[in-house]
Amino acid sequence: MSRVWREPARLMVFLGVMFAAASAWPLDVPPLTGRVVDLAHVLPPDVATSLTYDLEAHEKKTNNQVAVLILPSLEGEPLESFSHRVGTTWKLGHKGTDNGVLLLIALRERKVRIEVGYGLEGTLTDLRSAHIIRQEIVPRFRSGDLPGGIASGVKAILGTIEGSYTGTETPAVGLRLGDEPSGFEYVIIGVAVGFIAGLLLSHGLQSTRALLGSVLAFLVAQFASVLFGVVAAAATALLLWLIIQANRGRRQGGGWEGGLITGPGGGFGGSFGNGGGFSGGGGDFGGGGASGNW
Amino acid sequence: MGRRISVFTTIAIMVLFVGLSGCGYNELQGLDEDTKAAWSEVVNQYQRRADLIPNLVATVKGYAAHEKDTLEGVVQARAQATGIQVTPETLKDPAAFEQFQKAQAGLTSALGRLIAIAENYPNLKADQNFRDLQSQLEGTENRIAVARKRYIEKVAEYNKGVRYFPTNLTAKFLLHMEEKPNFTVADEKAVAKPPEVKFN
Repeated sequence: MSRVWREPARLMVFLGVMFAAASAWPLDVPPLTGRVVDLAHVLPPDVATSLTYDLEAHEKKTNNQVAVLILPSLEGEPLESFSHRVGTTWKLGHKGTDNGVLLLIALRERKVRIEVGYGLEGTLTDLRSAHIIRQEIVPRFRSGDLPGGIASGVKAILGTIEGSYTGTETPAVGLRLGDEPSGFEYVIIGVAVGFIAGLLLSHGLQSTRALLGSVLAFLVAQFASVLFGVVAAAATALLLWLIIQANRGRRQGGGWEGGLITGPGGGFGGSFGNGGGFSGGGGDFGGGGASGNW
Repeated sequence: MGRRISVFTTIAIMVLFVGLSGCGYNELQGLDEDTKAAWSEVVNQYQRRADLIPNLVATVKGYAAHEKDTLEGVVQARAQATGIQVTPETLKDPAAFEQFQKAQAGLTSALGRLIAIAENYPNLKADQNFRDLQSQLEGTENRIAVARKRYIEKVAEYNKGVRYFPTNLTAKFLLHMEEKPNFTVADEKAVAKPPEVKFN
């Protein structure tokens, strides 16, 4: 290479490195494919299977959701922030009890972290997490036994949090004060509102009353600020009104153009179901846990 | 005639309700409440850190009593940080917020110095009690980082509500809400990196 080209070539290399570093910064959270996500392929299949089995049995028994993630590298991202991001993205633990735990291992950085959900911070304290890392995981990792370290780490975690929550303490499905109602509850509310609105509508024979009734239904639904409710209310009210009108065999003119159909816009968000695999239950993390190196 | 009045009244009430929900009255109140909750969590975690310090200082004293300056520095910084009473109400005051942030940052750096001198004392580093306290401190710093991040997000949402049209009108004329001060980014970077702990 001639002298003239050396500098630009260096610059190119420098820029290339810069670009690679910049693009590598926000490491993607890997998809939650199971309770044990081994992207570094360090676990023999039988160990992975038995771990998965143990974690599943533990959830059935205690309702706690524990998952293991093994990464080849953190790509320069700080361990703690990535670990928290994985926990909150996967939503380990259940909504309300926040009883999830993530065991994260980054091979290249030789770092390990136990990320503890809000609800388990009292049992699996930062201190207890640090002890598990120090006494169970790190010594085995140092001697090269990654599967053994992970297995005994998981065992210690499960042993610690066992009995923190029992299966019966699952937050009851239902409308509780201060809780966001679920989509299903919205539908029920909507149907109820629609039913009442429909009765109101068919009861008042005058077109002004009909208009009022429909607007009232819209209002109540809008006040719950719920698309589900509006749609369900609209459908039910319309149906009821039509049925009752048809039964009475009476013709009503006009009075409908205000009505229910002009609910707030938007789409149906959120997906239902998850195709049978393992998925987080909506738990939250507040940064509890401990980290270590080996 | 009676019916007509009732119709008009209903329509008037309806317009009022739609107007209030449309202009973000409830939404703003909710956002305000969210920022207060997020702030409580921040204060809570800082308090937790302050609670760890007396034990930590006592442990370090046992091995490195002559590191007086550093130890005194931590004790003073703690006193300063815990001396500031911050309620959700004072959040509206940028000066008070700044003062709080400064005091906590002072404690963070004093603690950093304390942990750094431990490197010079192998016996201290090997002390089980010290290691435990260090793990707890590290965990607490991490929680502080999370709580601050959440507060930043909540305040950003709230400030948007206060500034965006049409909710800004409600915020300004009806609720007299103002933008809330937030943690600064430069400061955030310093906090985002928890103290390094090596299990050697």
